[in-house]
Amino acid sequence: MDSFLQGLAMVFNVQTMLVIVAAAVFGLFVGAIPGLTATMAVALLVPITFYMDATPAIAAIVATSAMAIFAGDIPGTYLNIPGTPASAAYVGESYRLAQKGRARETLGTNLICSVIGGLFGTMVLVFVSPSLAEMALNFSSFEYFWLALLGLSSSIFIAIGSRVKAFLSLTVGLLLSTVGLDMMSGAPRFTFGVPDLMAGINFIPVMIGMFALNEIMMFYGSRAEARSVPVMAKDSVFANAPGHVKTYWRNILRGSSLGTLIGALPGAGADIAAWIAYALGKSRSKEKEKYGTGHIEGIVDASSANNSGISGAWVPALVFGIPGDTITAIVIGVLYMKGMNPGPTIFMNGGGQVYALFTVFFVANLIMLPIGYLAIRASKVFILTPRKLLMPVILSFCIVGAFAINNSITDIWIMLIIGLVAFVLARNDFPMAPAILGLVLGGTLENSFMSSMLKSNGDLLAFFERPISAALGALVILIWALPTLIRLFRHWRRPAQTDQTPRSS
Amino acid sequence: MRDFLLGLAFVIGGGVVIAVAQTYPTMPALQYGPSLFPSLIGGGMVIGGLVLALTRIGQLRIAFAGPRSQTPRYDYRGLLISLLPCALIVFYILASEWLGAPLCMALSMLILMLLRGARPWLSLVVSLVVAAAIYLLFSRYLLIPLPEGTLLSQILP
Repeated sequence: MDSFLQGLAMVFNVQTMLVIVAAAVFGLFVGAIPGLTATMAVALLVPITFYMDATPAIAAIVATSAMAIFAGDIPGTYLNIPGTPASAAYVGESYRLAQKGRARETLGTNLICSVIGGLFGTMVLVFVSPSLAEMALNFSSFEYFWLALLGLSSSIFIAIGSRVKAFLSLTVGLLLSTVGLDMMSGAPRFTFGVPDLMAGINFIPVMIGMFALNEIMMFYGSRAEARSVPVMAKDSVFANAPGHVKTYWRNILRGSSLGTLIGALPGAGADIAAWIAYALGKSRSKEKEKYGTGHIEGIVDASSANNSGISGAWVPALVFGIPGDTITAIVIGVLYMKGMNPGPTIFMNGGGQVYALFTVFFVANLIMLPIGYLAIRASKVFILTPRKLLMPVILSFCIVGAFAINNSITDIWIMLIIGLVAFVLARNDFPMAPAILGLVLGGTLENSFMSSMLKSNGDLLAFFERPISAALGALVILIWALPTLIRLFRHWRRPAQTDQTPRSS
Repeated sequence: MRDFLLGLAFVIGGGVVIAVAQTYPTMPALQYGPSLFPSLIGGGMVIGGLVLALTRIGQLRIAFAGPRSQTPRYDYRGLLISLLPCALIVFYILASEWLGAPLCMALSMLILMLLRGARPWLSLVVSLVVAAAIYLLFSRYLLIPLPEGTLLSQILP
């Protein structure tokens, strides 16, 4: 009880509450501007959280990411341009609703669904994480090796697009994780005589390069500026929203649970959760024909799924130190910096800090209601902010943010090189999430493998001798074999179907 | 075409990684040394790169066989403009010690804003105000030692 009250006190103080409000406004601004993602918002925020205490730092990240995901719906509704990739799934639906003069109603429903989705994901985080952590306490290096490999494997197999490109993107991240002194032998690897690289590559400049500099370069390369005229709106924000929530409560529940589950899978974030929830909602709907014409049901599933995905991604991040998405990949680094090492012990030794973390999630999601309401009323400010003025400002923040981590010019060079590599890869449809997961999990994968090999005297079969380790190993092998199995299954079904066709005719 | 070239780049990169990894010392007590993971990653890059390049050979043949006018023209001007932010970062790295962080940031922002057709007076005001604000926030409040610049420190008292 003392820890609980201590946790509440860590959140409900002037400093942390001000940080939450400021971070929510920042997330709102970044999320509402097309081309700027929630991950980019968090990556830009990290250098500032570096100088905060642990609770406000985490609170800032949670509030920013939750708000940015909702705010992505604002330009989607008014301009038909999704503010973040997580809003892309239902942008057509919300824009058509806006054209019918229901923009504020759509955004009001979106906001309520986002809050419910976020709170649902938080409830799962609160109730599932401690039990999972108890189980994870028995994990040794063998289990952690498989968990890391599971995370990396699913980041390839879940990725949208080419699996080969996802795999190659992963190798880039893994390669970056090997830079620095080897943990076992102390031998320097890929340091090229640069002293700053001995401790390894700090992932914050990498994140800024990958998600912010890359976007800036894309913007200047595309010559695109949002010139669409926004749809006018005079309707009420919340008048019809409760009715929609009541009508579609099953959709919200389904979207929230699906989003939490997908968010918890490494490599799959809010955007994939939204796409799958939208597709599932459509296939289960009684009014399928209305989808694509501006149907409110089309947005409730996905808008609750993307926000619950944000909270769901924290479950593996906190319990195992395995990030669920790119945002929690950043968070893991921040947790280490703040001395809150992610893993099962965080729930045992964390004390009030863990309760503070849970409280932050509730507060950050609930605060979305008033701030989101004001944002919907003042949408024009966000959607008409010219990117030609904003992108140069972001570039300055990138430079200073990368430098601020270690006060080192080397980090600016790292950001620049990674930004260039990410630009080339992203322009050719390479997904970025596997690279980030590779960077974050590469160390865990290698260290747990080396420790296991030392324990077992080099016997590889030891990875299958412990029951949980064997189960996780089998799961990894199943994930690898799944595409081949699906292909074989389709191949097997096709001749069977063609055999049946002549008979029926 | 670009996928084919990228595949080849990964093959070459992977080969270099493997070659560099072979130079790492091996520990007599350990069966697997510091070269194991980089070698595996390099191997993955070579195999992945080969798969990517080989699967694009068919498309490459079609592209070369077809008339030249059908192949879409690559936007080299767009590519060059997209590299300008990188050039400005290099400018900041090289010039900030002398010109100072605020001036370098203001100049970079001004160039980028004017490039996209922002109004000159607005660009000037925004870049100066934002550069000053960033410098004050990071340098005074977060105590980040951003370079003040020898030029300004000589001019200012």
